[in-house]
Amino acid sequence: MNLTTFSFIIFGIITIVTYFVVPKKIRWFVLLISSIIFLFYDNFKISTIIQAIVVLVPTYFLGIYIYKYKDTKKAKIFLIIGIIIILGQLIYLKYTNLFLNTFNNIFKLIHVNYKFNFVYRDSVIGISYFSLIMISYLIDIYRGICKPQKNIFKCALFMSYFPILTSGPFIRYDSVGEDLYKGHKFSYKSMCYGLVRILWGIFKILVISQRLGKFVDTVYANLQAYNGFYIVISAIFFTLQLYTNFSGSIDVIMGISEILGITLPENFHTPFFSRTITEFWRNWHITLGAWLKDYIFYPLLKSNFMQWLNKKCKNKFGKKIGKKISLYLSMLIMWILIGAWHGGAYTFIIGAGILQFIYIFLEDTLAPIASKVNKKIGIDSNTFSYKLYQTIRTFLLFSFSMIFFRAASVQQALQIIKNMFVWNPTILIDSSSLYNVGLDAYDFRLLIISLIVLFIVELLMRKMNVREKLFKQNVVFRWTVLYILIFTILIFGCYGIGYDPASFIYRQF
Amino acid sequence: MEKEIYERLNKVFRDVFDDETIEVNSETTSKDIEDWDSLEHINLIVAVEQEFGIKFNMGEVTTMKNVGEMVNIIISRINN
Repeated sequence: MNLTTFSFIIFGIITIVTYFVVPKKIRWFVLLISSIIFLFYDNFKISTIIQAIVVLVPTYFLGIYIYKYKDTKKAKIFLIIGIIIILGQLIYLKYTNLFLNTFNNIFKLIHVNYKFNFVYRDSVIGISYFSLIMISYLIDIYRGICKPQKNIFKCALFMSYFPILTSGPFIRYDSVGEDLYKGHKFSYKSMCYGLVRILWGIFKILVISQRLGKFVDTVYANLQAYNGFYIVISAIFFTLQLYTNFSGSIDVIMGISEILGITLPENFHTPFFSRTITEFWRNWHITLGAWLKDYIFYPLLKSNFMQWLNKKCKNKFGKKIGKKISLYLSMLIMWILIGAWHGGAYTFIIGAGILQFIYIFLEDTLAPIASKVNKKIGIDSNTFSYKLYQTIRTFLLFSFSMIFFRAASVQQALQIIKNMFVWNPTILIDSSSLYNVGLDAYDFRLLIISLIVLFIVELLMRKMNVREKLFKQNVVFRWTVLYILIFTILIFGCYGIGYDPASFIYRQF
Repeated sequence: MEKEIYERLNKVFRDVFDDETIEVNSETTSKDIEDWDSLEHINLIVAVEQEFGIKFNMGEVTTMKNVGEMVNIIISRINN
């Protein structure tokens, strides 16, 4: 069930109405039933539901045992067993082909004439999300941050709360857990706020993302035909498509939760205004970054090996450079994992992983040199123009890395990049060329206008709480804005027959 | 004892962040020290551990809100 389909809207309304109709004590149970239906409705296969149970049951019991044997060796063993079960299943379902592909490449290199065939395994919706969520649940109990949930059904709800199964965000038990079980009171204000956020999300997905997708898909379906600026535009469009799709889904998810009275952590904070890639990742998929920081990056840096390396390097290269080496090594490992989380293929590991690491590494090492050069030739880095340059540069660097993310294979990505280096700026003014790539003149104009609206709203979001401001306006203005939003979606949204109902890019992970 | 701990902490902070002017108190957070980001956080933690001969657990490392909380943990460890 996709977030922008008619069936999901009906499903959401039924869930919300039932939630507020039943007694407060059992409201959480309504969410659990909805979540189970949602899991099942995805592909009607019992085998995939079992995958969810494989995570739930051991996690539930191990959580209780880890708490019972806190601060003993046993707790550690239980934790490790839990992580092995959850990760083992995830790797088996999602990463088998990555390993087979690696073996095939090695065979090719050493001239062994053997090739593994790829396998295709169905997996339950949201497995990449709830697997990591449940790992964090176990680790947090082990670390003494939270207590285990004694009711297995409540534990099941924490794991499978349906909105987040599609696109996250990653939740933590200590901050969201209790919120799910409380029977929240209905609030008219929360409903209005939530509704606006849902509409805004749907606008981003159906009006902007789907339209951008038509252009991008046309280019990628016939790569021989496009080069130079076609590639540049499609790379930029794909980045915007990914953002509007992903953040739009998050808006819908947060909006539903807001109506229910449940507060989830934010996953985006206007990332395209960032001036560096480092800053960009602080504002993009925030909860994934926080997850990796707490459960991989910190433990890795604090591990005995890294501390040993740190000491050695400090002795050899001095304090300043020495401490950077273990840091960069930990960062590289973390970025490879971020890439791999996005999908079990090299394109993701390079695009969303290694390239991002290279950017951040270069930013970190070149920043002191850049500031010296700027000082020498008299460039003030605190001016609007310089900030604008940095923002555009960050956006373009990220768009470049997304070529790998979108491509079918690394070879294809490299070919696309090669084709990009053709100088054909005339296509930008010759309307007959650009209007033939999946979008006609009408669609293009619509797209530009909606992107400008998006830009203005995001700019305002950096300065104020836009929804609060909107609801402070007089009733005529408020409803006009709402109706414009609704009718824009209905009239200009790409939905219905002929469109894959908003196949969510971030859902496949 | 608290005063002595803060003095020793000042030394550690100055060393880690290469800034002789740092003066921490119980309210100091990562926002108050320019270089105190998520990357430097672990270096700081390890340096504090070495100074006091104690170990923080990962839960404490990720949830510590300010220097005051850090000092409370240090005191509880030293007393044990």
